Amino acid sequence: MKYAFYPGCVSRGACPELYPASVKVAETLGIEIEEVTDVGCTGAGVLSRDLSDPINARTLAKVEAMGLSSLMTICSTCQGVFTQANHRFKNEPEYRQKINDEYLAEEGLEYKGTVEVKHLLWVLMEDYGVENLKPYIKRKLTGLKVAPFYGCYIRRPTSIIAPKGLSGRKTYLEDLLDVLGAESVDSSGKSKCCGFPILTVNEENSMRMVSDHTGDAKTKGADCMVTPCPLCHLNLDANQPTAEKRAGTQIGMPIIHLPQLLGLAFGFDEKEMELQRHIVSTEAVSRQLEVSIRS
Amino acid sequence: METTFKVYRFDPENGSKPDFATYQVDLPDSATVMDGLRQIRDEQDPSLAFRASCERGSCGDCALRINKKGRLGCSLKIAKTVKNGVVTVEPIRNIPVLKDLVYDLEGFLWKKIKSVQPWITPREPEPEGEYVVAEEQLAEVRKAMSCVMCGLCDEGCAVIKIDKDFVGPAALTKAYRAVFDPRDGQHDERLTLVSEPGGVWDCTHCFEANGHCPLGLEPTDRLFEVRDEAIRQGIRSGTRNPKVQRHYDSFLNSVKRSGWLDEGRLAIESEGLTNVAGLAKLLPTVIRAIPKGKAPLPYFHHKRPGAEAIRRIIDKAQRSEV
Repeated sequence: MKYAFYPGCVSRGACPELYPASVKVAETLGIEIEEVTDVGCTGAGVLSRDLSDPINARTLAKVEAMGLSSLMTICSTCQGVFTQANHRFKNEPEYRQKINDEYLAEEGLEYKGTVEVKHLLWVLMEDYGVENLKPYIKRKLTGLKVAPFYGCYIRRPTSIIAPKGLSGRKTYLEDLLDVLGAESVDSSGKSKCCGFPILTVNEENSMRMVSDHTGDAKTKGADCMVTPCPLCHLNLDANQPTAEKRAGTQIGMPIIHLPQLLGLAFGFDEKEMELQRHIVSTEAVSRQLEVSIRS
Repeated sequence: METTFKVYRFDPENGSKPDFATYQVDLPDSATVMDGLRQIRDEQDPSLAFRASCERGSCGDCALRINKKGRLGCSLKIAKTVKNGVVTVEPIRNIPVLKDLVYDLEGFLWKKIKSVQPWITPREPEPEGEYVVAEEQLAEVRKAMSCVMCGLCDEGCAVIKIDKDFVGPAALTKAYRAVFDPRDGQHDERLTLVSEPGGVWDCTHCFEANGHCPLGLEPTDRLFEVRDEAIRQGIRSGTRNPKVQRHYDSFLNSVKRSGWLDEGRLAIESEGLTNVAGLAKLLPTVIRAIPKGKAPLPYFHHKRPGAEAIRRIIDKAQRSEV
């Protein structure tokens, strides 16, 4: 199955390690992806839906024009914004038609409502099949204690993101960690907000969320946290030193992008997954992986 | 059905610490958690304090934390929640407890609801008779009008957990109801009011509130409607909250210019180009990020293919907002 690929803004901006790691993972698994290049930012829940819905309808129409029916994301926020917009387009045909007529027609585009948007995590768990990952695991992550951190928009609103029949989405990270041989650490922030959306407006609250989540993962004994969302990564990793300072505590919790963790299990080394780019040192992860290899 | 109730007990007058007391109740399968509490009070311990009123999910009085989830005690059957024969009942979180399961809603909820002025101020002299509004004009706000002010959305709010001053989804749902009432004459003033610090822009829009509302009113969606309406009216910040407007405008201008987000520009412009202290605050993060190649150069942001089409869409959408 071939996917249109939507890498999002952050994987080419402040988290440049995410893009190549995602592509390497897809190539390793033989997942065919084609980047949809001439499209815009989803609006990330910041832009009003009056503006972001037509931009996102245009992206989905471009996917249809590529002859594809699935769009793969690598960001919980992109995923959530697309899922919610697509829900409106699919369930409110008059609204979709209005957007087609007013915004897309002049480019000769029309969104027919046929595209499914799926995060890499969902692609692996629902389309590829977790069992089919096993042959590619060259380095079991045995002994590595990993706290999953989903990001809001890949969990909620539940009625749209994880409706009946897809409620398993609430545990995909844990299920995947199990197959990779890692140990899941159940931290209290797992499905909570990382604080990134209010970083500008209320930095104090945002930093408190970072120190609470990373601190709890540390208390529970995690070697690192893993997230499918680069915005969560930015707040939990790049802003962790600020959050530590505010909280008056040392945390030092490495935050790993989901594709990086997969890459490590598939035999790529830390440099190939560009762990050296992270703000919080990932040495604890490397040390544990060394131990796993020797034993 | 025999069930063990573990009930939070606290009496500030006897000086003892909060604790859980255990009671055995025997009730039919159709019984609610509130039926269980009433049986305990009537037959085992008359000192147990709890609130209950309508008994049909319409007053919000019996909002409790039952088996670690915020629920209305009168609407939840024991059989639906019991785990290994046990039902644990506590007051909702983040709130001062007065006695046992009775808590003080004044600071937690009432003060916040009053702060958004959830009453209608007519735009024209009040009619002598009823103020008749066509059904279709009120259809959208009907959902919010059903809110029973139980406070369970605030109980589950990730921001209130760490910041008791955040106005919260319950009050913002009330604000929504007033903002979209066609009879109201304070539309823009309301949007400014909820855009002050601690208001609608302090929400992380994490959608927790939707999962906690027992009536399915989707408070986060109501809150998004308020935000979108504020943006339509050009009210992207309260009088004391200029960063909100700067952040929104910078995000928008970046997408409009190049089709995607210029993260460096967003950070700088959100602080304000002349805000020396704010810009200085960014420095440590930038200094840490530069050697890692994680600080994209602001303003030298290449245009994505399709940027012109996206700019046209934004221009058109903005024109139709006016």
